Amino acid sequence: MTLVERLNLENQILIRDGMSQYLIKYYQPGNSYYIYGDYASNSGRSYTIWCRIPDYYPNICPPVYVHNPNPLIGFGGVSINSYRTSHRMHTLENDSDGAVQICHWRQSRWHSGITLNKVMIKVMLWFEAFEQHLSTGRDIDYFVSTMK
Amino acid sequence: MDLQKEKIQEAMQAIAARRSGRNKLVYDKTRKTIVAVSTTDYTTTGLNISAEEADMFLCEIITIPLEYLNNNWKKIADNKILPIILSEWDDGDVYSLSSIGKWPGQKEVYGAIVIGERDIKEYQIVIQLKKTSADQNFDYVSPLGEKFKAISYSNAGKMKGEKIITHIVDVGYEISTRNHGLIETGLLKNSSVLIFGLGTGGVQVAVNLAKCGVGSFYLIDPDRLEIGNICRHLAGISHIGRKKVLVAKDLLLEKNPNIKVYTFPIKVDETNKDKIKEIIKDVDLIICATDNRESKLLINAININVKKIILFSGAFRRAYGGQILRVYPGETACYHCFLLGMPDIETDQEISSDANADEIAYSDMPVPIEPGLAIDVEPIATMTSKLALQELIKGKESTLHILDKDFSANWYFWINRPEPDTKYSAFPPLSESIDEMTILRWYGVFFDKDEACPTCGNYEKALREQYGLEPNESAQPESSSLPPNIKL
Repeated sequence: MTLVERLNLENQILIRDGMSQYLIKYYQPGNSYYIYGDYASNSGRSYTIWCRIPDYYPNICPPVYVHNPNPLIGFGGVSINSYRTSHRMHTLENDSDGAVQICHWRQSRWHSGITLNKVMIKVMLWFEAFEQHLSTGRDIDYFVSTMK
Repeated sequence: MDLQKEKIQEAMQAIAARRSGRNKLVYDKTRKTIVAVSTTDYTTTGLNISAEEADMFLCEIITIPLEYLNNNWKKIADNKILPIILSEWDDGDVYSLSSIGKWPGQKEVYGAIVIGERDIKEYQIVIQLKKTSADQNFDYVSPLGEKFKAISYSNAGKMKGEKIITHIVDVGYEISTRNHGLIETGLLKNSSVLIFGLGTGGVQVAVNLAKCGVGSFYLIDPDRLEIGNICRHLAGISHIGRKKVLVAKDLLLEKNPNIKVYTFPIKVDETNKDKIKEIIKDVDLIICATDNRESKLLINAININVKKIILFSGAFRRAYGGQILRVYPGETACYHCFLLGMPDIETDQEISSDANADEIAYSDMPVPIEPGLAIDVEPIATMTSKLALQELIKGKESTLHILDKDFSANWYFWINRPEPDTKYSAFPPLSESIDEMTILRWYGVFFDKDEACPTCGNYEKALREQYGLEPNESAQPESSSLPPNIKL
């Protein structure tokens, strides 16, 4: 499958799985693909995620950032952005604009058989765990198990 | 030199070379001295001196490769002299042509090869090549068919004025004579192997295959030898800081100076994909001994189309065991099939470097490097070498084909110890078990190809079936501008 064939099919899977808010878009001037969409949490809060599909996708893991809110304020007014790479909060290095990067899959555990709908499920789970953190003050890793 | 002295020297040389000479050494009990007598002589007053007893004699030995003389014969014949540099070892006990191997001697000395009996004082070691008649012993036959006796002497040091034993060796042939009967000289001379990862396991496989006579090596690894590698790697501390591919190259050339080694200190990543593909095209067999999934998957993906046989070799964490997956691209399970089918085992790999630890750790929660012992990695490297050899002799004559049926499985695993918290922790003791699985035994397993594998299977079909999509059902991404405040 070429990258275009793969993304066409993945888009269809996102539709099929009811994730049309995360449909892949094509940015012609940069000849690149991205996902930009909202997540409305169970409690009704809204978050926007940004994901540039890497040139070497699906061999490379796509990074997902919390575009809005930025900064993302956690329990006790502590910015989640300040954690940068954190095992406790399941975050990786911030984007160039400081946006929080959600650790959904590590490159060392990624492979081309993983599809974007699976990534988006993890992203949504991360937001739910984040909201649990907001309510309880517990770290995000208390609510999600670490992938082996 | 008087006749007796010459005879003693001839006898000593014969004994040192473990060949029968015209003279033998005898201790003359009456004269209370060593004498040389004809091997046919019988004496009641002398004690014959055995080869083992003669070994205690201090003797200097010079070794010159036959190939060097042949390649330089025109110069030697035209000028009657060829200056050379010799490596001196063990306080002048041994000399060899400095270019014979990769390691410099403890000291370098100047020498010369001369034709005929010339008295030259400006060189410490002089090797005289004296023409011999057809019926005399000879040490060297020139490219023109002339026979020569090699006689060397030293102009300095403790053996000043003394003759030195000279060995002219046919390196290309003699270096592998101990393999004869199993692998004949030249059998693998035209075989080529590409090795990804020249750590403890990879370099061991490379050297093992060089010992077997493999003629060409392509080595890929971007890393340098660090202090922490020394207790496991074949190379010692003198090589610290060097690129692993260059260290490996020297180790290989030290085993056989006639092999070809091509080194590529590059990372296995998407940016080097085309270059790697070009390298793969030139080889007969690939060994993947890298320590991370990303590189293994990429090598696997590149090779699926190039279709070279590949062995994925690696140790489990802390080297409590290891595994080897042999892939015949398109025919048997590829590395991606293995990852999908055996995720727990695929993930269980040793953490052998900082980079490897960083990949699987968060920066605020480091993973310690736990690479395991060399003695636990070596069995995996040895088995990988055996599997590699079996592939390389395919279609060639060798008694080792007797092993073909033993190596018919595509996945092999080995457990070094009953590691706690693994499914092998309850293994029965090795000494009490014959039929059950135990440590320190290789197990071969037939592992099926995954038809839905994203790399070698029909992944698109599998995805469509999984999500109930029709064959042509797809959604082309819409063209769009960038979202607000987003820069690429």
